[in-house]
Amino acid sequence: MKLKVYRYHDGMTEPRYDTFELEPTSGLTVLGALFQFQQKFDDSIAFHYSCRGAVCGTCAMLINKVPRLACRTQVAAILNDELHIPLSPYPAIEEKVEWNPKDEVLVEPLPHLPVIRDLIVDMEKFFDFYKYVDPVFKPSDPAPEKERLMDPSFVPELELYTNCILCAACFGSCPVNGSDPQYLGPAALAKLYRFHIDPRESNDNSRLKRADEPRGWWDCDFHGNCRRVCPKEVPPLIAIAKAREQLNLEKEK
Amino acid sequence: MSKSLKHDEEVVNASSQVSIHYHDVIIIGGGLTGLRAALQVSDAGLDGAVISKVHPLRSHSVAAQGGMNASLGNVPGEDGTTDSWEMHAYDTVKGSDYLADQDAVELMCREATATVYELEYMGTVWSRLENGKIAQRPFGGAGFPRTCYAADRTGHNALQSLYEQVLNRDIPIYDEFFVTSLVKDNGRCVGCTAIEIMTGNVHGFLSKAVLMATGGFGRIFNRSTNALINTGDGHALALDVGVPLKDMEFVQFHPTTLYGTNILMSEGARGEGGILLNSNGERFMEHYAPNSLDLAPRDVVARSIEKEIKEGRGHEEGYVNLDLTHLGADRIMERLPGIRQIAMDFAGVDPIKDPVPVQPGQHYSMGGIDVDIHGATSLQGLYAAGECACISVHGANRLGGNSLLETVVFGRLVADKIIEDNLNSSKPDMKPIKIDVNVVESKIEEILKRKGAENFFNIKENMSKSMFNKFGIYREAQTMQEGLKEIKKLQKTLSHLSPNNKNRVVNQTLIQFLELEGMLKIAEVVANGAIARRESRGSHTRTDHQDRDDEKFLKHTITFLKDGNMDITYKPVKLGMFKPKERVY
Repeated sequence: MKLKVYRYHDGMTEPRYDTFELEPTSGLTVLGALFQFQQKFDDSIAFHYSCRGAVCGTCAMLINKVPRLACRTQVAAILNDELHIPLSPYPAIEEKVEWNPKDEVLVEPLPHLPVIRDLIVDMEKFFDFYKYVDPVFKPSDPAPEKERLMDPSFVPELELYTNCILCAACFGSCPVNGSDPQYLGPAALAKLYRFHIDPRESNDNSRLKRADEPRGWWDCDFHGNCRRVCPKEVPPLIAIAKAREQLNLEKEK
Repeated sequence: MSKSLKHDEEVVNASSQVSIHYHDVIIIGGGLTGLRAALQVSDAGLDGAVISKVHPLRSHSVAAQGGMNASLGNVPGEDGTTDSWEMHAYDTVKGSDYLADQDAVELMCREATATVYELEYMGTVWSRLENGKIAQRPFGGAGFPRTCYAADRTGHNALQSLYEQVLNRDIPIYDEFFVTSLVKDNGRCVGCTAIEIMTGNVHGFLSKAVLMATGGFGRIFNRSTNALINTGDGHALALDVGVPLKDMEFVQFHPTTLYGTNILMSEGARGEGGILLNSNGERFMEHYAPNSLDLAPRDVVARSIEKEIKEGRGHEEGYVNLDLTHLGADRIMERLPGIRQIAMDFAGVDPIKDPVPVQPGQHYSMGGIDVDIHGATSLQGLYAAGECACISVHGANRLGGNSLLETVVFGRLVADKIIEDNLNSSKPDMKPIKIDVNVVESKIEEILKRKGAENFFNIKENMSKSMFNKFGIYREAQTMQEGLKEIKKLQKTLSHLSPNNKNRVVNQTLIQFLELEGMLKIAEVVANGAIARRESRGSHTRTDHQDRDDEKFLKHTITFLKDGNMDITYKPVKLGMFKPKERVY
């Protein structure tokens, strides 16, 4: 089994790919494979890592042309084609790179964000869009003496969105993020919706209006890649569809 | 790299191209402690900034699963009684095997309820009871269902809320900056130096106060639940400027980490009714903790599992089973969805259908930078809070649910102390920072010029194996002496080695090299403390000194560097409401 890795840094005219024979160890993940590459082949390889347990969201990258968390992706499962995720096509995953999917795992940086070096991308734009939706709790009432009460029936829907780990896999999988550089993207919109449905906030559409513009709720083409690649099963599509419905209802009034 | 560089008052010295930044308060670490402190500093009108080697959302706080203890009393005790901060304090002190300082424990437990509410006010989505109040579950070593939780993603939810608040206040964050030294001037800490990882440039940070919020050092052990970034950088930085570390031999081994990767399987799994079974299918905790069973404190359960495995009643590969199947799919999906996902992703086991293979693994560092009850170190201007500090609320063994609590309580309280002290201190001189930046530059150059041929990654592996094998759950004088020798040898070897990558730009290997230098120092501190403590207390279990010895060792171990050598002294424990007695569960 081999790892085929995208390499690029300032000064190179175009990226190259390095191929490295992996030592097959039990439970080897793509992140583990990158550490093997770093420790045994070339220690100048650059990639993000932290928790190695699929909770911190730092190691999203393109693995066999699908955005995934490197730490959560088993090399054996990829080679056995057990992790197939069908995606709506977009240019970044169509680029022709020759690789043998039976023996090689192809690892490339997350699309739609500028590459800093090798597998590290600049997340500034992603977090700028996140910040644009004003992701901070704005309660409708002053704080009581103890906790605000919340009907537990609200929690499951809220959790769908609070589970987002801001890894940007959705951003790198969205064809619209590829074609419209201003599109806020699935994660930012899902975050906005999380605050909209929080029963402790005012129960009108004021939150939704923040993204009531072409680059916001209205840019999505419902490809659904975001939901398919999300390691936490966050459904931005549902948020976007519901937001549009609520905004349309208000406009009809 | 960081757009937040725009925020600060950047002073560029044209002749040497050194970037020096000034902030009233520098907070090193962007986890729960660091972010909570940053909010407090900002709300007091001071200019504080966070420096972190990763984006704050990638901090290890995000991985905390089970919850945060506070005597809200939302769920009654078994006999209808109501919880109180005093009961919380009692459980914490007993859990600590009486080594915790009781004034600090009292402070934390009194502040606990307000802290959970505070997060709620910031928007944290807690799990809820039918009556709409914050839900609480039973946890190890606790007399009441006291642990407030957000399913099994409590750290994630809390960290997101604090980050949202920090962003909303436009608090400057220098992310992906690795701190290389603390800077001293006239007996006062006046800032730090740090490598900007993406460019390789060394920056100077000038400040009236520095707060260490750098988390634990779990990665000196090969089996650890900790994020790969938990390399104890703050501990090593403090040691280097002569600030002592306290009780470093007390390392928590969590009983239930996933076999293979040692990813955490929350204590909440047992809080919800999960049980431990040996290879004969026996619920073995009945023999070790007849009253508390699977919910005895972590040190007790970890020792029991290790004993079962050592005596041949574990599974051959070295694990026992955590059985959740009787809880049913609905309860697992509602209360423990995160660990179900982890078990499926990393062990191929669905806890709804099959038991989860678990083994003990390093989880938490009870010891840390020696601070007083205000979070102040012995060096003026330097403070510490959270896991990197030892204030000491956990003593010899931490209770589950008390670490998230500690981070947020003391993130706030220590920031209050910093704010108070800041008003009385003058803006420090820039000169020592400039000198230190040059010192760090020369050090990096020297490291990159070394010709040593051995691969330094082997050193890290050998250290972490040695530490787990020789300073793990069961400890004994002779093997520990061997372990200490190995650590010293590795230190010596590393001093001749160098990364192959000689570039300065995005050189993550260089960062790992610098981390490793610090880790080897910390390993030595742990080793020395463990060897010197000839008793068994909490997590520190000596097979050659099996009893607790209050007469000789009811005291804190204090380790410091003096002229390049490590020295140990001791400090008395602050007792209070609760007199030491035998600890039975």
